[in-house]
Order: sequence, then C-alpha cells, then structure tokens
Amino acid sequence: MKAICMKELKGYYLSPIGYVFSGVLLLFFGFYYFQVMMTLSSSYIPSIYSMLFTWCMMILLPILTMRSFSEEIRNKTDQGLLTAPVGVFSIVFGKFLAAFLVFAIALAASLIPAVILSFFSDPDWIQIFGTILGSLLYGAAMISIGIFISSLTQSQMVAAIATFGVSLLLLLLGGFSSSVNNEFLANFLSWISFDSRYQPFTRGIFSVSGLVFFLSVVAVFTFLTARKLESKRWS
Amino acid sequence: MIEVKDLSKRYGENVALDHISFSVGEDTIVGFLGPNGAGKSTTMNIITGYISASSGSVTVGGHDTVDEPNEAKKLIGYMPEIPPLYPDMTVREYLNFIYDLKKVTLPREKHLKEICTLIRINNVYGRLIANLSKGYRQRVGLAQALVGNPPVLVLDEPTVGLDPKQIIEVRNLIKSLGKNHTVILSSHILPEVQAVADRIIIINRGRLAADGTPYELEHGQSGEQKLVVRLEGNSGEVQHALESIRGVLHVRNFGEKEPGVFEYEVDGRGGVDLRRPLFGIASKRNWPILSMSSSELSLEDVFLRLTGTTYLSDNAKVKFSSKGGDRV
Repeated sequence: MKAICMKELKGYYLSPIGYVFSGVLLLFFGFYYFQVMMTLSSSYIPSIYSMLFTWCMMILLPILTMRSFSEEIRNKTDQGLLTAPVGVFSIVFGKFLAAFLVFAIALAASLIPAVILSFFSDPDWIQIFGTILGSLLYGAAMISIGIFISSLTQSQMVAAIATFGVSLLLLLLGGFSSSVNNEFLANFLSWISFDSRYQPFTRGIFSVSGLVFFLSVVAVFTFLTARKLESKRWS
Repeated sequence: MIEVKDLSKRYGENVALDHISFSVGEDTIVGFLGPNGAGKSTTMNIITGYISASSGSVTVGGHDTVDEPNEAKKLIGYMPEIPPLYPDMTVREYLNFIYDLKKVTLPREKHLKEICTLIRINNVYGRLIANLSKGYRQRVGLAQALVGNPPVLVLDEPTVGLDPKQIIEVRNLIKSLGKNHTVILSSHILPEVQAVADRIIIINRGRLAADGTPYELEHGQSGEQKLVVRLEGNSGEVQHALESIRGVLHVRNFGEKEPGVFEYEVDGRGGVDLRRPLFGIASKRNWPILSMSSSELSLEDVFLRLTGTTYLSDNAKVKFSSKGGDRV
C-alpha cells in the first residue's frame, strides 16, 4: 500500500496535475477572498470556504481521480500491479490515500490567508475548521467514487466527465427533495444528498451521522473498486 | 514447482483453454509453443493470477493461486506480453517501485545493481522509460520480473521487438537463469523455443497438442521417416516401382528437376530403412540415383502437423515456404 501511495503521490507532483489542482483551487480561493474582504469589507470568511469547496468537489476532484485506474488499464500496467504479491484492497486504498493527500495539502494551503487575517481580526475558527473537516469528508467520498469510475473505463476523459456528472447530481439531489410530493422519496433524496450531510459542518457542528455517512461511502466505493479489479479473477 | 490441473477458460461461447494439464519441475525451462491466439498468454495469465480459470486449478510451490494468491505470487516473476512500464518514471524509480511493491527484503542497492548488470541496462538506469527504445523497454520488463529473485519466471514472448544480437543475448540469459529458476516462456517462433527450452509444450486452439523434450517430439511424434530422392527415368514407372517397396506408405512426385530427372518424396513406416531396397530397385531397372537424402520429421514438421498450416504465424510461413510441397 505504501509503495503504491508513494508512487501515486510522485505521479501527481511530477506531472502538472498536482500543481494545477492546488493552483486552481487557490486561485478560486483568492478570488472569493478578494470579493468578501475588498468589496464587502468583511472579515467573515467561513462562507468563502464553503462556497469554494462546492466548486472544488465538482470540477477539480474529477481531474484528480480520472487517471487513477484508467491510465493503468490503458498502459496495461494493471497487469503488473495485480500479479504482484499485494492485495487488491491495498492497491485501491494506496491510490485513494494519495489522491486524498493531494486534496488535503491543497486545503491546508487555503488556510494561509485565514492565518494572516487572524493577526488583524478574529475569524470564526470553529466554522472554518468545521467546513474544512466537512470538506475533507465530502472530498474523501467523492475521491472514492471518482476512483471507482476510473476503474470502469480506459479513457481518462470519460472517467472525468462521468465523475463530474455524478458529483453534480449528488450536489443537486438535496434541492429536488423539496419539490417532490411523495414524502418517502423526499426523505430518501435528502438522506442521500451529499450537500445536506455537508451543511452542518459548515455551521461548525460536528455531525456524527455525517461522519459515518461519508466514511461509509468511502468504504462502499473502495470495496466496489476492489471487486471491479478482481472481476477478472472470477469472470 | 508448478502444477496445472484440468485448466479451462471460456469467454462466453469462445473456449480459450480446453482442459489443459501439465506440471513443471524445479530448474527447468519450459517453452510454450503455439500459433498466435492458441492460448499461451491466457495460460500464463492464469498461472500468474491475473485472470482466473473457468475451471481447474493451478498451484505454484504448493500454493493454490486462488486460495493463497499472495503466497503464490511471491514465487513468480512475470513479464507480460506488454511489459507493465510507467513511461513517466526513470528506470531507477521504476525498479525501486517494483522492489517496494513486491516487499523484497534483499539489500536494495546491491540487488537492483546486480539485476541491471545481468540484463545490461546500467547505461539507461537514470533515463525516463518513455525515452527508451523498444529493446530496452523489453529488457526493463525482464528486469522487473527478476526483482526479488523469485524462483519461478513466467516470460511471455520475451524476445519480441529485439534485434538479432539482443535476441541471442536474451536467450543466453534465459538459459543461464534456467539453471536455478523454473522458467516458462512462450513464443510462436519455433527455433527460439528449440534453442532454450528443456521441454516443449505445444498448445493449439486451447488444447495441449504435445508435451515433451525437443528430441522426444522429433522422434516420437509419428515414427515415420522420409526420403527425398532424385531418379532418372520414366516418372510413372519409377513412382509405381517405389510404391511397391515394402514399408512405403506414400510417394509424391515433385516434378521434373533436370531433363529426364524427377524428384520424389517417399514416406515410409518407422523402423524400416528404405534406402537399400530403393537402391536395389533403381540399379535393377538401371535408373541412376542422382541424389538421395533421408530426413526424420523435424520439429517444424511436428509443429505443423499438430497445429495445422492454416494457423501458421507469419514467421513460420516464411520459414517453411522454402521447403516446398504441401504438408498436412
């Protein structure tokens, strides 16, 4: 697992992907920061984080996960991984961990302006950290979904677009629940809506059900990816 | 070391492997031979645990590849048909990654250095794999299989894409590895397998067509012998006379080669020497024998007989076409 995680991390930071990911994230971030502080003259910055991460989930995470397995399948290097004496789960988890670390590093970098701001003002740290924790969980779930999708196709493009579609759908799902008549369906939609699980964190509330929900999503999709890779062995 | 029992693989309607069984002992080189698409790679992929069989079992060093995959995989170094290389890594990074992936405990620097010296890739050690030639990539693929010094090496067409000098190098390398490794290599090129393998397994259309040493295959296949003879004389009479010799199964006329001289191929039953009775008849009828050569079935003939001409690979076709005559 460690070998694969290290290899993936190197892959992210030796290719432009890691830098583009962090760079674009921080660019968006700087823009929102500018908007709140300069045009609104406010030091209330938690909203910047929650706004930003929504973008990040939708557009940037698919780019982070698209090559994960698609590239291996295309180059036939999965043959090397799957015939090495390592379990399928450690391959999948190694890849997941690497993508998650790249994501976490980018998020950590986005805290720099908040730290600087704290010298002059008093930002709401509880909300900021709540949002970051929620984003890490939301991101982990999206990464595991993205990795699963990339294990289904050889094409990075297809993987990226499909992941984008899924994340957009998951984000919008909660909004549908209010316009559905059927009570059961409405409850179900808001239950699986990633956004409604994420919102409590942005208000600084540590939501245990949210934590369990996102970790379960990670577990389910890691399992599915491993089964997909193993499917060659039982088809 | 390797025990393959009753292995079958089906892809829907398509049967890729049909109840193949064989076993390979320690320190032997086994050559898998067969036309393209015969099931060589499928067999290798199953042995190495990349894909599963529809039925049957494989054990490597006593470990079943389905029940104890990691123990079995630890014993195998596999070089697939397309080496699993990452183009954005240098050879050094790649081999170190494989070293970590396989959780090797040998001293890292020394072990990797030894492999590089053996495979002769020291001069490209620091270069990006993307910039290597096909021959070097193939060698890095071989180096990758050797990392961790596994007792079993499975090499799928190891010399594809190499130049003639490199082919000889790699063959010698495989031969020397065979002294203390169990090696399975596949090829559709017959001389290659003949040159390195202690034992040949011929696979055709998913079935085991033959299994034995090159000598056994050459001599034991049919027991027939063959004479090619040039006689001067009326072709019809000569053919009739030749067919009347005891032990002759079949006479084929290859046509007029010189004015009044015809060439015949005489197939005879094994154990009967046809040369003396043939000489006797020819001298009695006063037909000068201008040339006569005896040939046992070559490995090529065996291969062709077992696999059928329609499935011949291009290489083999070029090689065989010079011999003339239609063969079964």
